[in-house]
Parts: sequence; structure tokens; C-alpha cells
Amino acid sequence: MSYLEMRGIIRLYKESGVLANDKVDLSVEKNEIHAIVGENGAGKSTLMKILHGLERPDQGTITFRGREVSIANPLDADRLGIGMVHQHFQLIPQFTICENIVLGIEPKKYSIFFDREKARGRVMGIIKEYGFKIEPGLTVSQLTFGQMQLVEILKMLYRQADLLILDEPTSVLTEQEIKKLFTTLRNLKKIGKTVIIITHKLNEVKEISDRVTVMRKGKVAAVKKTAEVDRKELSRLMVGKSVLYDIERAELTRGLPVLELKEVTLRQKNQDMPLLDKLNLTVHASEIVGVAGVGGNGLAELEDVVTGLRRISSGEIYYNNNRITNSTIHELREQGLCYVPADRLYRGSSLRSSVKENMIITNSRNFQKAGIMSQKRVQDFADTLTAKYSIDGDTALPIGYLSGGNIQKVILARELEAKADFIVFSEPAWGLDIASSEFVYKKILQLREQGSAILLISSDLQEILTLADRVVVMYKGRIAADLANREITKEIIGEYMHGIRGDFEVK
Amino acid sequence: MGLKKKNSELFVNTIGLLITLGIAFFLVIILIFILSDEPGKTIYYFLIGPFINKYYFGNMLNSAIPLIFTGLGIAVAFRASMFNLGGEGQVYAGGLAATVICLALPSAGALVGIFLAVLSAILVGGVIGGLSGFFKMKWDTDELISSFLFSAALILIINYFITGILNDPNSNLLTTPLISDKYFFLYIFPPSRLDISIIFALLTAILVFFFMFYSKWGYEMRMCGLNREFSRYGGINTAKYIVIPMFLSGGLHGLAGSISILGTYHMCLKGFSGGMGWNGIAVALIARNNPLAVIPAAIFFAYLEAGAKAAMLHSDITFEIAAVVQSTIFYLITAQALYNFVRYRKRVEV
Ligand SMILES: Nc1ncnc2c1ncn2[C@@H]1O[C@H](COP(=O)(O)OP(=O)(O)OP(=O)(O)O)[C@@H](O)[C@H]1O
Ligand SMILES: [Mg+2]
Repeated sequence: MSYLEMRGIIRLYKESGVLANDKVDLSVEKNEIHAIVGENGAGKSTLMKILHGLERPDQGTITFRGREVSIANPLDADRLGIGMVHQHFQLIPQFTICENIVLGIEPKKYSIFFDREKARGRVMGIIKEYGFKIEPGLTVSQLTFGQMQLVEILKMLYRQADLLILDEPTSVLTEQEIKKLFTTLRNLKKIGKTVIIITHKLNEVKEISDRVTVMRKGKVAAVKKTAEVDRKELSRLMVGKSVLYDIERAELTRGLPVLELKEVTLRQKNQDMPLLDKLNLTVHASEIVGVAGVGGNGLAELEDVVTGLRRISSGEIYYNNNRITNSTIHELREQGLCYVPADRLYRGSSLRSSVKENMIITNSRNFQKAGIMSQKRVQDFADTLTAKYSIDGDTALPIGYLSGGNIQKVILARELEAKADFIVFSEPAWGLDIASSEFVYKKILQLREQGSAILLISSDLQEILTLADRVVVMYKGRIAADLANREITKEIIGEYMHGIRGDFEVK
Repeated sequence: MGLKKKNSELFVNTIGLLITLGIAFFLVIILIFILSDEPGKTIYYFLIGPFINKYYFGNMLNSAIPLIFTGLGIAVAFRASMFNLGGEGQVYAGGLAATVICLALPSAGALVGIFLAVLSAILVGGVIGGLSGFFKMKWDTDELISSFLFSAALILIINYFITGILNDPNSNLLTTPLISDKYFFLYIFPPSRLDISIIFALLTAILVFFFMFYSKWGYEMRMCGLNREFSRYGGINTAKYIVIPMFLSGGLHGLAGSISILGTYHMCLKGFSGGMGWNGIAVALIARNNPLAVIPAAIFFAYLEAGAKAAMLHSDITFEIAAVVQSTIFYLITAQALYNFVRYRKRVEV
């Protein structure tokens, strides 16, 4: 009998009529790192939510440490020692790290008041015990994604979890952050913890896991020892045929400048260090400029500034030679901006609105006549996008019912279809499975060939090196390097990202 | 992975509503047993009273009319995630505006006078509501509080006019003079006071429904209500949709006031609109902000009131029981709405 046995798990989502888990068996040995892979919508998150008590299975049993258990809610799971980090962070940005960690099981003074001192002491204890370095008094909104991930892990450890579930923990992390995370996971394994990890990146599966369960369309397609399969085999098991990455970036001469930033500076009240410090950056037609950087160095701010969501403190921005320094996103959209944001859950989509309604937010005027929306045209448009981008879900239902990867596909479909001359992508392939990200990469390159100017902000250096013509590295709100994508390596970019290099500029 | 039951969500919601209403009725019956010496008779009149003759039935429908308008007003604002707590004052102001126009134009053509009276009521209500929206847009003041405060102040000012310069010296009521009878709405169900404006109310509900779900404005407004950040990102002019829904909401409240004057009261009686604003909130909650569902919800609310009245006339309880019933239902409905909200967040944000 294994450490964890899930047997015959069935889960039908009545709202969408989707059989997300169809007699799924999962067995995990004590002290192993077990990977779960599968295409978008294969049912991975659902299975893990069942294990963590967020969803109830319609049928099936869970045996944990040799005993059959019933997990009705996350508290039950915590009590059993099962912790989970969700596909999307569950932290409260305004709270400190410490407050987030103890949330729900705070130490109390006189059994009613929050005992801040004791909470801090305990959290420090956990941080020391596992050998991390982080200051628990920091507010979560100041953290990088890598640090947030660590807070999520600390939250589990604080609850004394022995089985740790991580749903796509690496998708927004930089390579260094991923390395750190993996070291942490290996250490946790060493001291006797068990880990289940979901990821779309097969090299990560190879690197970190002992065994891997492959899911396909709600069922288990295979269970393998990681050492005994290669990536090709895995991707064949996932989709039923082997997918080969072949992305070819054609040589193109770039066109005229489309977006120009001149001495763009963004300051925050009461802070000496500007968030963006005299940025000069030009994106030309038929050019993809990749922006790399560790979180907290101005990437998010750059994203907000070029899309008109945030006013700059000084400097100028030009778009096709027109000054747009003070234009709102509303005005920029009218002039042909398209934008895939990093924050896909609150900015990029409206979870309670239907998939259809999410698809037409930027161009609703195309579906109206004299102010009346044509339902039929909206439906036709939605059907076209669903087919073209292989989105798995009913367009009349709230987008929140879709799997993480499918939500991302809806956002991409909407923005890619608009065929703008200037497009901002932030983490475009976040959460996409291999086939979908390949499709999206090809689409981005196609837009470049059609003459769009593209700004690609990404934590994934491989993605940047695959797509970008030029790579810009941000460090402390400044452009530390602006390099042509020839003969540069991840290592070089990495050095700029961490401020190890940066004393000279190459064009 | 085929598609199956799509409607189960709606089904669950309806069941929830029915359970809530069931509990409310159960509580009412217990109350009646406590308060009444002849509970059988009281319950009979409470439940059946509004249907025993044309007079009661028509009057019940008549008192639903303003609730349809105010319920729609609240629903429109809610859909845009705006809260209009100033309904009471807006209805009252609309009523006064309509009365003043009618009194000022004693010799205009009937249709012209009615048109101007209704229009001015809509504008007055709309401006009052829109002002809260405007303040929010400009200075980020909470529209919930500002609309409530405006309304509270307005009620006092209107009272001042009704008991002061606009007072009818020949009446011993605190009221303005009677408007010319050519402006009265046609009674359609004598001997009850039900008038032609019920048709107008039904049409308005359909119009609002169509506006919310089939027009571009309605779409943008709902999107702003569901996620403002997303709407801004998508290029919607979100500032506009802070003011517009509050204007529409205020306008519908003003309309409710003018319709009550032209159809029922024929003069601006001090405090005639008391409760119409608050009950509109309950009606919108029962209807889950669906404009078409506002119609049965308003009639249901009017039914409770009519039932209590009938029980009072034919049996031994006081009218307060109607208030108790309404507030019981109000609380239960609000609780259910909150519960759904929490359950929803749990599902989607996780
Ligand atoms: N709350 C929900 N209501 C209705 N259907 C849902 C809900 N959550 C998931 N589904 C459906 O269940 C299926 C499996 O979703 P799940 O989130 O488990 O996929 P996943 O394997 O985690 O995919 P991804 O890699 O995109 O995150 C999808 O088709 C999705 O549309
Ligand atoms: Mg998932």
C-alpha cells in the first residue's frame, strides 16, 4: 500500500457538464517527488483540489498513510498534513508575510486578540528551521513571484504539511527562482516530505521528479519512473502523438519606430528610488523586443506605463510619432494597442462573465448596430475563436469555470485576433501546454512578419531567446542591457538580471 | 466530455429562494399565532385576503407599481456595482417635481403636461443620483454614503416646501394642492385604484432588461460592475459608468415618484413615498437584479402588504405585522444573497 492512494476518482462539473476526472487512480510513495503532467483541461487541478478538500469527488476513495480518509474541506486536509499551493497565488497582497502565513490559525492572546509577537516568533522559527532567508515583516505586494512562492510553501510548512501539492509553481518564476525552488523541494524531500508537482515543462519533470503520472482527457494515460521516459515519450503520452517544437524565426529587416520611450521615469510617493529610471527604448515595426528581469525591477511598471494604465512622472512616450505620454488605455486601444497582461485573473479576464463576454471586451463596438448587440455575431465570433485556438469550454458559461490554461487561451485569442500594429505580451505562455504554447509562439512570429511591433515581457528566458530580435534587461528600474539576439546566452542575460554585469552597454 | 445540465445553477438559486420564502412564511404564521386571538381567520385573510375581491386585488397591483420602478432603479445600479441608498429622497423629489409642473401648467394639454411632469421627475431624480456618481468619479467619495446623505437632507427640504410655500391652505392634510384632474391616469380596474401606469411599469421593466443585456451600453456597464480593472484594461471608459448607472437609478426612482402622483395620490402628500426606496432594495435583491424578475418580486412585496392590510381589517392584528414580515423577508433575502456571494468567491477565486 502506497503512502497516498486515490482510487477511481470521478468528478463531473455539473455547471459545465465536464467530466474532469474519469476514474482516476493516483498513487504516490512516501518521500518521493511525483509529477503530474497533461494538456490544458486534462483534469490535473481538479484532482489536486479533491485531494485538498476544495472539490468533492462524485465517486472514489482516498487512502492516506494506510487509512481511508474523507476530506471535506481544506481544514481537513491541513489536519491530515496535506498542503497545497494553487495555480494562482492565494496571498493577501496588503498583509505581511507573517500575517499571510498564520492566516486562519493565528496565535491568540487571551484567546481573542491576534498575538503579533507570538506569530512573528513562530514564523521566524519555521524560516530558521528550514534554512530560508526572508524577512517576515515585508508586505506581500512588495515581493517577487519567487518570494511569494516561498511564502506559499512556508504557509504549508507552518501547517505542518507532510504531503505538499504544488500546482504549476514554476510558470511565472525566472530560471534562478526555479532553481531555488527545486533546491528547496529536494531539501524537503531529504527531511522526509512528499511532494506532488504539476508542470507543463517536461525538462522540469525530468529534473525534479522521481515518478510521473500522465493525464489525458480526465483519465490517467500512464505512470512512469521518470528515469525511464524521455521528453518525447512523455509528450506522446500526453497528447497521443509526439509534438516536436519547431519554431523558426525568419530573418526580417525591421521597419520604422512604432513605440518610443524617451527618458521615461516613474516615481512613487515617499520613495527615493524611482520605479522606472530614465528609460529609453524603441520598438520598431516587424520587431520583437524581449524584456527580461527579476520581479521587482520595473517589469510590471513598464507594462503599465506603455499600455497607458499608469501615468509617468517625467519623460515622453511616442506612438507612430504621436505623443501619447498622457493617453489613457482607452485612447491607445482605439489607436490599435493590443495587450496580454501578466495578471490574467483580474486584469485579463472577468471571471464571473461568460467566455463570450470576455472575448469581446476590446471590440464590442464591432458587434453592435445603433447600440444594439447582435447576439448572433458575438456567438459566431466566439465559435470561431474557440475552434481556432482549441479552447475547451462552453462559451456561454463564466470563464472562471475553465482550466487555467484555457483562460489564458481566451485572452490570447482575443488580443491576437485584433491584428494591431503594437502588441504588449506579458508572460504569454503562462500555463499553456506544449502544443498551445507552440501555437501561440507561431502566431506571435506571424504578427511580426505582418509588421507588428511587439514588446514581450517574460520570466522565461528560453521564450525570449526563441522569439525576440532584441533583448532588453531591466535591473533596478533601469535598462541594464539592450542586446541583439545573436550569440547571447541565458547565462549572459542572467548576469545582467542580477546586476553582476551592467557596466557597459551593447547595441 | 459532453455538455449536460446547464441550468442547474439557476435551479439551485431558485430552490434557495423558495426555501427562504418558506422560512419567512413559517415565521409569519408563528407570529400570527402569538399575536392573534383568532389565528385561523387571521392567516386566512393574510394569505387569501388580497384575492377575495377586485378592490383588494387591484390595489395590491397598484402598490406594486412604484416598487417595480424603484426595484429596477436599484437593480441597474447594482449591476454596475454601484449602490444607491438614496432612493427614498429621489422618489420624493420626483413626486414633488411632477406635482410642481402640473400645478404650474394648469392649462396645458393633458399629454404635454404629463410628459413634462414625468420627464422633469426623471431628470430631478437622475441628477440627484448622478451627483453621487459624479462625486465618486471626481473625488472617490463613497456613493453609498453620499446618496444616503443627499436623500436624508432632501427629504427635510421637501417637507419644508410641502408644509411651507407649496402647502394647500384649504386642506387639513400636510400636502400641496390637488393637480388638475385632466392629468390623472386612467383607472383600469374599478373599483380599485389600479391605473394604466401598470402597463407602463411592465414596459419599463422590459426596456431595462433589453438595455442591460442586449445593448452595448448595458454590456459595458455590466462588465464594469463585474470587474472594473478588466473593463479599464479592455478600453472601456470606466469613469462614464460610474455616473451613468447612478443617473439611471436616480431617474427610475424619480419616475416612480411621478407615477405615484399622477396615478394614485394626485397631490404631493407629506411623506407619501415613505418606504418605496428601501423596499426597492429588497425587491431588487429578491429579483437578483434581473429586471424582468423585478415584476413578480414587486408584486410579491405588495402582496405581503396587502395581506397584512386585509388581515388587519378583517381580524384583530395591527398593521405592524406587515412591517415585521417585510423586514423578516428582507433579512433572509439579504443573508441568502451574501451566502451566494461567498460561495461564489470560494468557487471561482480558488
Ligand atoms: N469550477 C468549475 N466549474 C465547471 N467546470 C470546471 C470547473 N473547474 C474546471 N472545470 C472544467 O474541468 C476540466 C478540467 O479542469 P482542470 O482545471 O482540472 O484542468 P487542468 O488539467 O488543471 O488544466 P490547466 O493545465 O489548463 O490548468 C476543464 O475542462 C474545465 O473547463
Ligand atoms: Mg490547472
